[in-house]
Parts: sequence; structure tokens; C-alpha cells
Amino acid sequence: MEVLEAVLLGVPVTLLVTVAALALGAVLAVPLAAARRSRVVPLRWLGRVVIDVVRGIPPVVWLFLIFFGLGRDLIRLEPIEAGIIGLGVISAGYLAEIYRGGLSAVHAGQWEAASALGMGGTDTLVRVVAPQAFRVSLPAVTTYAISLLKDSTIVSAIGVSEILFRATQSARSTGAGLTPFFVAAAVYILLSAPLAWLSRGLDARLRARVAR
Amino acid sequence: MSAVAQEPAVVLDRIHKQFGDLVVVRDVSLTVARGEVVAIIGPSGSGKSTLLRCINLLERADSGRVEVVGRAVEPGAGVAGRDLAALRRSVGMVFQSFNLFPHMTVLRNVSLPQERVLGRSRAEADARSRQLLERVGLAAKADTYPSRCSGGQQQRVAIARALALDPEVMLFDEPTSALDPELGLEVLAVMRELAADGMTMVVVTHEIHFAADVADRVVVMADGAVLEEGTPEQVLRSPSTERARRFLSAVVDR
Ligand SMILES: Nc1ncnc2c1ncn2[C@@H]1O[C@H](COP(=O)(O)OP(=O)(O)O)[C@@H](O)[C@H]1O
Ligand SMILES: [Mg+2]
Repeated sequence: MEVLEAVLLGVPVTLLVTVAALALGAVLAVPLAAARRSRVVPLRWLGRVVIDVVRGIPPVVWLFLIFFGLGRDLIRLEPIEAGIIGLGVISAGYLAEIYRGGLSAVHAGQWEAASALGMGGTDTLVRVVAPQAFRVSLPAVTTYAISLLKDSTIVSAIGVSEILFRATQSARSTGAGLTPFFVAAAVYILLSAPLAWLSRGLDARLRARVAR
Repeated sequence: MSAVAQEPAVVLDRIHKQFGDLVVVRDVSLTVARGEVVAIIGPSGSGKSTLLRCINLLERADSGRVEVVGRAVEPGAGVAGRDLAALRRSVGMVFQSFNLFPHMTVLRNVSLPQERVLGRSRAEADARSRQLLERVGLAAKADTYPSRCSGGQQQRVAIARALALDPEVMLFDEPTSALDPELGLEVLAVMRELAADGMTMVVVTHEIHFAADVADRVVVMADGAVLEEGTPEQVLRSPSTERARRFLSAVVDR
């Protein structure tokens, strides 16, 4: 019981880190995806370099750079803030590619029709293309969110007291051996399953509405 | 007649368009009078779509002048945003692949552009949309999604969507080519009515019967140039060039 309580204490922290990092990434990914699809070649190139660098550096290294580098010398960052920023930046790289895929999946005729109707570029993107790209991207975004939920364990490396951190502590202090980790595993499954169901349900609904 | 009424709806003046080294439209000039219905026919790849798309600047001609209801632009020298907006407002276009917005109901498809382009309120736009859906025989489909409509119905919605912006010229790019013949007929019926109501129309089509019955003028294109043009009787019955004769016998005998 003691073990379960200890692990559950980490749940709000894990959820906060995951949701905040995903939200941060979802926003930062917009300009990155835009750069990747820009007509301006250097911008396209820059977007690509940023995305490759962001995804090419191991997440733990990102966290150390942000927490011990940025967080020590420039601005005071709490571990949880550094964790959210680090995972947020990494998410931006992955989500930008997902957005890009979603945007390319929208038929060119949609842009043409809107253009022929006299609608402006931004209007067309916001009203016509983005909603369709969203539908296409949704499964990939959910899959990413689920993996982020699990990968958020790495913020324990900079001392954020999320589920794994609590489990490790509990294992050490109670001598409960592997039990806390089994509990943690069960908690992760319970957290990610509803997300997967939600996504499938939503995807099916959106699909039923617009299936061609 | 006033000067404005005599002014042509569309003037294409020596339009030239190439993609890389491929010249697709070479020095084509064409004038469409107000209320006139012009059918453009010709083998595939002859530049019909490209020429049509040069009218509403979906393609920018490399050189030449495009004039729509008195407003002229030279796409090769750049187009001001204001000119582009004005031109797009006076020209409606219907595509072979309908291009309805799949995530919106039929009603929203017709209303959204009115709200965004003309600044109509939702209520005003919806009222106009319902009126036009009635006109194309689809009032009952207002609240369904395009995916629940047949191809012919989708194309009629696309026509309503373009008409909702009160265009002065309508462009049609093979509007029935993606449809089964019966479904094509319902679309052609709507287009006939539109022509009878005096709409200026430029129609790229393989429907020789439609061209013969409805068009005031038929233009035959081949290899990026106008091969022949005249009344349907002249062009379809007694084409003057061998190339046009071959093309016509191929489509008529089909
Ligand atoms: N965006 C484009 N880029 C390159 N080539 C094109 C493009 N659009 C059309 N073409 C080429 O131009 C030629 C004429 O095309 P099109 O105007 O569509 O002819 P049609 O409508 O008469 O069949 C074709 O050879 C086609 O491959
Ligand atoms: Mg064509």
C-alpha cells in the first residue's frame, strides 16, 4: 500500500510534464512546419536543420544541457521547468514533421478551389487545410503523445519527482525490490490506454464524417 | 447599348505559358462577350486547362494580357494583390474533381467563402446558399457532408458555391469528366439553365452535344494553339483544318 501511494504521488507530475511538453511542442512545431514548407529555400533548409538537430540529440543530453547549462548560469530553472522545456523542444521537432505530413496529405485541389473562390492564404490554411491536416495527423500525434508519456521518465534524471523517480525512491527506502516498478508499469498502462481509446474513437468519428 | 455593356467579359491577349521548356500555351488570343458561352475542345494535353486557369490567374501567363470585365493585368509583370482579389471575385471556377471541402457540410461549403470573401454574415450567407442549393436541386442536402453525396451532386454544390459569390464569368474545366454519364447529365442540365439565364461561361469539355446545343462559339485547341473557332455548326459540322477534322471524328464517333 505504501508503495502504491508513493508511486501514485508521481502521477500528477508525470501528467503535468507530458501535457505541458506536448502543448509547448505543439505550438513550437507550427513555425517549424511552416519553415519546412516555405517557398523560401534558406528558410526550408533552416527548418530542416533545426528539426534534425532537435531530434538528433539524445533527450537526456537535452535535459542536462538545459538544466545544468541554461538553468545554472543564465536563468534559474526548477527541474520540472527544465524537463518541460527539454521535452517540449524535442516534441516540437517530431510534431513539426507530423504536421508537415498532414499538410502534404491535403489535396492540392483544396488550395486551388479556395484560391479560385478568392480566399486568402491564411484563411485557406486555417479554415480549409489545417482542419483536414489535423484529421490526418491525429493518429500520429496520439501515438507520439503516448510515447512521450512513457519517455517522460527521463526527467527523473534531473530530479523531477515523477512516477519513475518515486518508484526508485520507494524501492530504495522500503527494500520492496521490484514491486514499485511493477506498480509503475501498471500505472503507465492505465494512463496510456484511455488516450489510445480516445484517439481511436475520435479518429473513427472524424473519418466517418469526411471519408471520401 | 452603353459602353459598359459592350465591353467584353474576358479578353486574353497573346497569352504565352510554358512549364520549364514545355510551351503549353503559345500566343493565344480569345475574347468572350458578356453572356456568351464559349466551349473549348481539343485533345488532352493541348493546353485547354492551362489556358482556362490563366483567366483567373491560377496559372500566371509568362506574357500577354488578361482582362476581365474591364480590369486588365499583365501576369508576366506581376499582379497587385488588389487586382488579384478583384479578378477572383468576378470569376468563378468549377473543377473536374469538384474540390468541395470534405470537413464541412454542403451548406458550410457554400456559405464559408461568402463570409470570408464578401464579408456576409452567417445568416445572410446561409440564406443565399439555401437559395442556390434550391436552384441546383439540392436543398435537401444542405446539412450532409460531401462524402454522402454522389459525384453529380457534389459538382452541383461546387457550382452553387461559385455562384454564391455573384461572379460575372464562370469557368468550367471538364466538369463532367469524372462522372458517370447519367450524373453528368444533371450537371449539364444545371449548366444549360445557367447559360439560359445569361451567365458568361467558358467551358472546357469533351461533351460535344453540350457544345453543339449550348455554346455560342466553339474553340478547338491543339498543341497550345487555337486551331479553329466559330459557331458550333461551322466548327463541328465542317471543320476547315485536317487536324480538327481528325479530332472531331474521333470524339463524335465515340
Ligand atoms: N503545373 C504544370 N507543370 C508542368 N507541366 C504542366 C503543368 N500543368 C500542365 N502541364 C503540362 O502542360 C500540358 C497541357 O496541359 P493541360 O493544360 O492540362 O492540357 P489539357 O487540359 O488540354 O489536357 C500537358 O503536357 C501537361 O503535362
Ligand atoms: Mg485539362
